[in-house]
Amino acid sequence: MTDSKYFTTTKKGEIFELKSELQSEKREKKKEAVKKVIASMTVGKDVSALFPDVVNCIQTDNLELKKLVYLYLMNYAKSQPDMAILAVNTFVKDCEDSNPLIRALAVRTMGCIRVDKIIDYLCQPLRNCLKDEDPYVRKTAAVCVAKLYDINAQLVEDQGFLDLLRDMLSDSNPMVVANAVAAISEILESSPTAQQVLEMNASTINKLLTALNECTEWGQVFILDAISNYTPKDDKEAQSICERVTPRLAHANAAVVLSAVKVIMKFMEMLDATSEYVLTLVKKLAPPLVTLLSAEAEIQYVALRNINLIVQKRSDILKNEMKVFFVKYNDPIYVKLEKLDIMIRLTSQANIAQVLAELKEYATEVDVDFVRKSVRAIGRCAIKVEPAAEKCVSTLLDLIQTKVNYVVQEAIVVIKDIFRKYPNKYESIIATLCENLDTLDEPEARASMIWIIGEYAERIDNADELLESFLEGFQDENSQVQLQLLTAIVKLFLKRPTDTQELVQQVLSLATQDSDNPDLRDRGYIYWRLLSTDPAAAKEVVLAEKPLISEETDLIEPTLLDELICHISSLASVYHKPPNSFVEGRQGGLRRVLPPKSSSYRKHTRRGNLAEQETQAVVENMGAPAAPQATVIPGVDSLIGDLLDMDLGGPSMAQQQQMFGGPSQTPVQTSGAMDLLGEGLDSLLGGPAPAGDGGLGGLGDIFGMSQSQSYTPPQEVWIPAAKGKGLEVTGTFIRKNNQVIMDLTFSNKAMQPMAGFAIQFNKNSFGLIPANPLQVQSPLPPNQSASTSLVLNTTGPIQKMDPLTSLQVAVKNNIDVFYFSTNVPIHVFFTEDGEMEKRVFLATWKDIPAQNEVQYTISNVEHNADTVSAKLRNNNIFTVAKRNVEGQDMLYQSLKLTNGIWVLAELKIQPPNTNFVVSLRSGTPDIFPEIFQILDTILHN
Amino acid sequence: MGGIWSYFSGLFGTKERRILILGLDGAGKTTILYRLQVGEVVTTIPTIGFNVETVQFKNLKFQVWDLGGQTSIRPYWRCYYSNTDAIIYVVDSMDRERMGISKQELFSMLEEDELRKAVLVIFANKQDIEGAMTPSEVANALGLTAIKHKYQIFKTSAIKGEGLNEAMEWTANTLTQQK
Repeated sequence: MTDSKYFTTTKKGEIFELKSELQSEKREKKKEAVKKVIASMTVGKDVSALFPDVVNCIQTDNLELKKLVYLYLMNYAKSQPDMAILAVNTFVKDCEDSNPLIRALAVRTMGCIRVDKIIDYLCQPLRNCLKDEDPYVRKTAAVCVAKLYDINAQLVEDQGFLDLLRDMLSDSNPMVVANAVAAISEILESSPTAQQVLEMNASTINKLLTALNECTEWGQVFILDAISNYTPKDDKEAQSICERVTPRLAHANAAVVLSAVKVIMKFMEMLDATSEYVLTLVKKLAPPLVTLLSAEAEIQYVALRNINLIVQKRSDILKNEMKVFFVKYNDPIYVKLEKLDIMIRLTSQANIAQVLAELKEYATEVDVDFVRKSVRAIGRCAIKVEPAAEKCVSTLLDLIQTKVNYVVQEAIVVIKDIFRKYPNKYESIIATLCENLDTLDEPEARASMIWIIGEYAERIDNADELLESFLEGFQDENSQVQLQLLTAIVKLFLKRPTDTQELVQQVLSLATQDSDNPDLRDRGYIYWRLLSTDPAAAKEVVLAEKPLISEETDLIEPTLLDELICHISSLASVYHKPPNSFVEGRQGGLRRVLPPKSSSYRKHTRRGNLAEQETQAVVENMGAPAAPQATVIPGVDSLIGDLLDMDLGGPSMAQQQQMFGGPSQTPVQTSGAMDLLGEGLDSLLGGPAPAGDGGLGGLGDIFGMSQSQSYTPPQEVWIPAAKGKGLEVTGTFIRKNNQVIMDLTFSNKAMQPMAGFAIQFNKNSFGLIPANPLQVQSPLPPNQSASTSLVLNTTGPIQKMDPLTSLQVAVKNNIDVFYFSTNVPIHVFFTEDGEMEKRVFLATWKDIPAQNEVQYTISNVEHNADTVSAKLRNNNIFTVAKRNVEGQDMLYQSLKLTNGIWVLAELKIQPPNTNFVVSLRSGTPDIFPEIFQILDTILHN
Repeated sequence: MGGIWSYFSGLFGTKERRILILGLDGAGKTTILYRLQVGEVVTTIPTIGFNVETVQFKNLKFQVWDLGGQTSIRPYWRCYYSNTDAIIYVVDSMDRERMGISKQELFSMLEEDELRKAVLVIFANKQDIEGAMTPSEVANALGLTAIKHKYQIFKTSAIKGEGLNEAMEWTANTLTQQK
């Protein structure tokens, strides 16, 4: 006998048995069989082979059997797409059944069957059900539309289902309205193209608000979420929506409460922050949020994550509710940590004593993570509330005395930040810190300690010994510690050059020769070269005065925060990440933004941004993370800020692209930024943009490698089509590669082609003249545009114009000659060699008579001295020197025009005052108005 | 004993007979089904899938399956063959062009092993329309002489209800005799 017997079996198996049972004529037996099939399906056995037999049971009067078969269909239709067609006729019939439950069941199952082949047949039944007399059927059909849209959006649009869906918002039954809203929201999430049809307007919102009071709690959630996506046309409408949503805050369902909070938080942006109404609204928001914290721990956690966002946006809402965030002994750890975070955010002078007492208690708990965070919190309190700093420091010292290893390490990390914030105040405790040197085993603590030693090397007698002891295990240290050690030893050398030369050489050779970490190696080389060429410069760089660190270091970046506020009560608000970063296939979705804000708010955010830049600057100068760095990735706003300021010290561009799907998709809100994204971004991405960690950012500063674009004014219309017989000329002036360039766009709006273009300038103040003949596409067909760049020389005939920058131009084509006059922005005449020697500057400044000095004020500039300096440098206005006098930054700047005229400027910056005072001096005061004009424009761009 | 049991079962007709109505699309299968069941003409739409109804004829109960005739559905007819007692094959007597296709479908169906005991009833339908093919013409066009099954062809009009009773009568008799 052969082995083939093993492959033939006489056993028919379970499937066969089921099959014959399904074909039984006895109803009861059939039903039993279907139940068995469903049971097998549920536990994961593949019973798809029974598809036709099960489907054959579908036409029955027995509702139970029908439901079972439908259940089977939902599961297996996808794997048997061809045979799924056998069920279609039954759907069609069931959708016309006299029993509304069967109609709804059929339409629901239809939506769940994701088979492309059969959906065509299902449109008509669905249409009927959308207009069904029974609300239960209608609401089920509404949801089905959203499901169908996911399978075949085009079909749904072509069949006009979207219109039907929109009409359902006016349905008399609130349940139907809620489901229609849910369906619409889902469709809009996945495809913005449906926007036009499904756009909400004031009247639909009004209907939703009416339905809101009558539908179930989950319906309310859907409606509130939909309302939050609507943008009211003015503050009156926003206020009336808020008024009608406010009662929902008292709902027992946490989801309803949070959705209502979302709507109110969003629309409050549009209201006048000082108005009586907003103040009462803010008061009303606190109690419901507090109530959420008496729910189960899981809900508490979700509530706390949302509150964390709300507090960052509007700390005033919960400022008097500190106590509810105090940690209970039986809170789960995740709730404890989150509460702690919020406590710190709410800390103020008024409640610091209470908070500090709490934190001190927490620091003696048993949970290591919690204790660490508590210690860190004490440090953050010290930085945030100045009057309490001393108390915080003494608390930290007490904690260090406990000698609990992780407490000590954590304390040292935060004390480093306190030193940064309050220089020359608490250095007396250094000795205590040094006692614990040997117990430090974590990189962050070691790095912090090394930073302290380096920073205060002159006060620590045995600093060289201490650092030398660290140097022994240099190779095995974490890179953070290595970098810190390198910097600290260089600092030590600069402060005590006599006896530490050997040490510095040792560390430099370790860093440059024995390390394969590029950051470390590069920093080593820079120090080496600095020390060997110009020790004075090295001193200036390494021991530079450090900007203050900001109070709030782990704030969520403002644009991201705004986006997250729009996602309150969703997973995004728990993760603190925008949905597209964790939901697959959401790239096409819309980014949510808050409605336009009132002006006072805008200022607030900008300042927040500034604080962040400051910390980044600190990181660059120091090489040491001054404080726990914000881990969030800056959003678009600050990306643009970075482009302008060339302050790329933060997270790398690549990260940001990943986050937002590339720069091309980056929604740009400000018009000025648009220009920059057009050209600036390319050159940035291509160029050696200093990216990555803080150390590299510092390099850029040292080598003066600022790479950026000078200010490009937007193109303006020089000849409108009406005056140019169909020819429209727009253009602007820029400075590129040491040349003045005129960018021109010719648009033919006439009916016939144009040809024979030429251009000529009248005599002008700066002798501007085209270097080459005009090169433009010729003939230019109707309805087309051609752009060209015309290089200009400044060697032409000169005649003083009024205003100075006025330029008269003639443009010719085959039709006529056209004349126009424009003003050349003066910064295109600023030459690249306009940087004056410091001494020459001083002498020149004094030489110019005082009556040749004019003062201007530039208001509302949202930059600090460094960014201003970088910005101006990009436009060939050079900072010769910078001084800090009593918190006031003085920038001394020089620029040179193409005709050899020098202009000197002094810029006074007095943070947080955003008004800058500019004093200009020059031998030729005539040009001051133009210079001031361009400074103003550049700084506001 | 057995004799008495069969007497009773014949009296009460407890056993349902399974009948399939097949044929090309638009032949009038669904109309015939509902004419048999409720005795009325109902408006129908193309059957994508199937209908199944219980039809009482005299003392016999039939479970009648009306399967869609679209090209896309014909491959699935086979899912319904097992335990079938009779097949009603409906032909549109006006559709001369597709008589060939109808023949093809009929013969490929009859080749199936599961149907070898089934009785075949052919409805030359739509006889109410002027110019329809006569039953003998239809029989010729379908090549019925080559069929080994027990069969009969009837001249029917589902709209007018003509010929249906005769056909069912014959079917019922044939089925009862077989047992």
